[in-house]
Amino acid sequence: MIASHLPRLGTAMLAGFAVLALAMSWWQVVLASPLEARPDNPALIAAHRSEPRGTIFDTNGTVLASTTVVDGIARRAYADPASTHLVGYASLRYGTSGIERAWDELLVGLRDPNPLHDVVNDVLQRPLQPHDVVLTVDARLQSFAAAQLAGSVGAIVALDPTTGAVLAMTSSPTFDATLISGEPRDAEAPWSALQQDPGAPFVDRARNGIYVPGSVMKVVTAAAALDAGAITPQTTFPTQPQEEVSGLVVSGFTITEHDLAGVQPALWDLSPAMQISSNIYFAHVGLELGQGRYLAGASAFGFCEDLRIGPMDHALLVSASSVTAIADAGCEGFVDDAELASAAFGQARVTATPLQMALVAATIANQGVMLNPFVVREVRVPDPSGTLGQVTASYGSPGRRTVVSPQTAEAVRAVMVDAVHGPLGAPYAGAANVANYGIGGVQTAGKTGTAQRGGDVPPHSWFIGFSAAQPGATPSIAVAIIVEGAGPGSATAAPIGGRVMAEWLRLIGS
Amino acid sequence: MYRLAARRTELGLLIPILLLVPLGVAVTNIAQSGLAEPGPLAVAVVFVGLMLGAHLVLAWSGHRGDELLLPAVAAMGALGIVMLNRLPQDLAGNPAFNLGMVGTQLVWFGIGLAAMLVVAIGVRDDGFLRHYKYSWGLLAAALLVVTLLFGAEVNGARLWIVIGPFGFQPSEAIKVMLVVFLAGYLAENRAVLAGASLRLGPVKLPPIPYLAPMLVVFAAVMLVVVVSRDLGTALLFFGVFLTMLFVATGRRAYVLFGSVLFVVGAGVAYLLFPHVQERIDTWIDPWADPNGSGYQAVQAIYAFARGGLLGEGLGQGLPLVDGRLPIPAVHTDMIFAAIGEELGLLGGVAMLGLVAVIMTRGLRIAVLARDDFSTMLATGLAAGLVLQSLIIMGGNLKVVPLTGITLPFVSYGGSSLLASFVVVGLLLSISHRSIEADQAESAELPEPAQPEMHAG
Repeated sequence: MIASHLPRLGTAMLAGFAVLALAMSWWQVVLASPLEARPDNPALIAAHRSEPRGTIFDTNGTVLASTTVVDGIARRAYADPASTHLVGYASLRYGTSGIERAWDELLVGLRDPNPLHDVVNDVLQRPLQPHDVVLTVDARLQSFAAAQLAGSVGAIVALDPTTGAVLAMTSSPTFDATLISGEPRDAEAPWSALQQDPGAPFVDRARNGIYVPGSVMKVVTAAAALDAGAITPQTTFPTQPQEEVSGLVVSGFTITEHDLAGVQPALWDLSPAMQISSNIYFAHVGLELGQGRYLAGASAFGFCEDLRIGPMDHALLVSASSVTAIADAGCEGFVDDAELASAAFGQARVTATPLQMALVAATIANQGVMLNPFVVREVRVPDPSGTLGQVTASYGSPGRRTVVSPQTAEAVRAVMVDAVHGPLGAPYAGAANVANYGIGGVQTAGKTGTAQRGGDVPPHSWFIGFSAAQPGATPSIAVAIIVEGAGPGSATAAPIGGRVMAEWLRLIGS
Repeated sequence: MYRLAARRTELGLLIPILLLVPLGVAVTNIAQSGLAEPGPLAVAVVFVGLMLGAHLVLAWSGHRGDELLLPAVAAMGALGIVMLNRLPQDLAGNPAFNLGMVGTQLVWFGIGLAAMLVVAIGVRDDGFLRHYKYSWGLLAAALLVVTLLFGAEVNGARLWIVIGPFGFQPSEAIKVMLVVFLAGYLAENRAVLAGASLRLGPVKLPPIPYLAPMLVVFAAVMLVVVVSRDLGTALLFFGVFLTMLFVATGRRAYVLFGSVLFVVGAGVAYLLFPHVQERIDTWIDPWADPNGSGYQAVQAIYAFARGGLLGEGLGQGLPLVDGRLPIPAVHTDMIFAAIGEELGLLGGVAMLGLVAVIMTRGLRIAVLARDDFSTMLATGLAAGLVLQSLIIMGGNLKVVPLTGITLPFVSYGGSSLLASFVVVGLLLSISHRSIEADQAESAELPEPAQPEMHAG
């Protein structure tokens, strides 16, 4: 009988209904809130379209990003491409990035810095109150730094070593975020042009550029070895002068010295080795230190973990730097001593972001204490006049950690000053001396890096350093500079570092 | 007067449902303009008038058919009309008549209800369906071929035949004809098909002469996928085909075998045809190209998410982006997403419930039908409506690939409305005839003796 099959058909169809009801619950209940928060959600875009958006100021109240509402459509304008990667964009078409993304809810006014206000506003059904955000960066230093990179590819990070404040952070090539933030339809052509640009202008190289550090890593190696007691500033390695010529064989792999440009090898201790940037010397230091202590030392500086630029509840993410292959949780162990020895002078599988290397310089400058970086200083209620309004929240460094002892930091500081001012160091890092750029009476500490990338590819040009660096002075700026494929650190990155530090000393001096 | 008081269940269900229409229209109007204007209520009045009119004609004609079908259809139609009335009216509509979208839809409701009444009351004998099953099948095939050859392409699928200012989707008519053909064929040959004389390894098959028409249907469905690029219709046809085959024979192996064939066929189509590939890829990951091929699917998901449990409220969803609705086909293929957004999970489940009512009533009519042909016909027609609803709702919900078929009685579209109402008319007609026959039989029997009450 046919009819006897119908109940089974009914049951099968009911299963179909059940699947659809489950799917509905999945989208409408389980995934509803994460979907609502996605930046390409049209409801958020529609809300952004007509709503005012808070202003983003630099530390002195200079406007970096502001919104004007024209014909019911909010138009976001950005003052200076130097800050594009840091400030980000708030595009009606393509969502948000940078500070615009991390602080989106406050800028739009969906949240208040004080959670209690949120509850009150919700109960009273108050309209959204956009907040202004004040950054720690100085727009003048941002522009200056960006101008140094104009036409080349790279990044500059400048930190205040004693507070953790980001003074400047810029990446090159950059672009004008205003082009992709106006009328959604008009944003499409510039967006696709930027996406197809072989220079990858969307990438924030300061935070997410992962580079071989080369010799700037020797600062980390020296600090870790001194702090662990593996070496003292007076340590020498008797076989080193011979190995400068013949090479140092580790685990069957021969480590050779870079071109010493006529300098005769000698029995160097830490200072001349740092000045001349001896690979052989630092390979020995790495081997003395050993795998475990080297990994621990680098990790203390922040390697082997994702970093964040605070304040932490709206942090900007920074890619992890590493000294070996990256494992799920941090760095793997070294394969052999050859890898360790090469890592000690910044080659092998060591990689670092410009922000990480700026933190290394800042930590040495601040007597071994690393202040976790932060880039937003205050949240304010907008003032009708367009200037800085009333402060509703203020932030400092989100935390500090002692990386090395003050004695270790002092010893490293001294050899970094020698690397800039000493007779052997001057040909390398001397171009970073701020005295070259009109700032007298202060010393500069620094270290260049020439990061080999294998084959005939030109090396990356690195510099890290800080100033003022003479004993007893309070350093006011620590920098990391990378210029991709620009050759030796001494030629490109070191003079840029000197100019940026000098500019800052001039700005705070006036 | 006696007759007008008949079909009380239907009237009792229709009244509260129809009261919701002016309420819904008023609520959306206030939500959108902030004003309570009398103008849009005309839409509600016309809709209520049409539905009540259909009920009264059925009652007046002494129709004994199922009394829950029309209220369920009216409820789905009511939601559809409220949603369409709330959308920009220039989304669709025939410019030749200048009625706007909801006006055109109301005209089609009138035409559809009239057709339903003609079929429900007029079809007293299904001989013209039963005896000419091959003719219907051939007509369906011919229409299919004509569409494939001369059809106009819309959104990459060849679905429309356009004559002058009128366009219609033949697939809606083909669906009904296919069910008529299959019902006739299966009712006649089900004994042979259920038995199995041909062995192909572990698979038992019916004799080749009986198998052939089945394979022809399968081939035709695959042709739809390939040539018309209409995945949804193909899936629907094939689903109806397998459903009817299962009910006729009771053999799950056919369903399994058929499904495997379909999956293999779809797999081959995936490898050979870029448009099928794009549909499937978009289904698997719409976010791979959220502004291009995945746009509509992504926007539907966002619409559901915004709706949440209780919905944004009628008239308060669908935020304009770039001055456009986020979902381009919101009045047709994607109307379920709009309902999910404005009425939430509760509204969506209610919509599922209405489809379930149509399913249970359809299957009930099939069970009570007096002969195999009527049972098969009712099963096929009900399965067509239910599967069509499930496929497009599932497409909106990313359970199956998104396809271009309508949600019956809800989506905008004349061909779909007309065909769906004809289906309801046929179901009512089958139901009426089986109840009449029951009554005639019981009238011939002697009056049953009153059972005696025995104490203790």
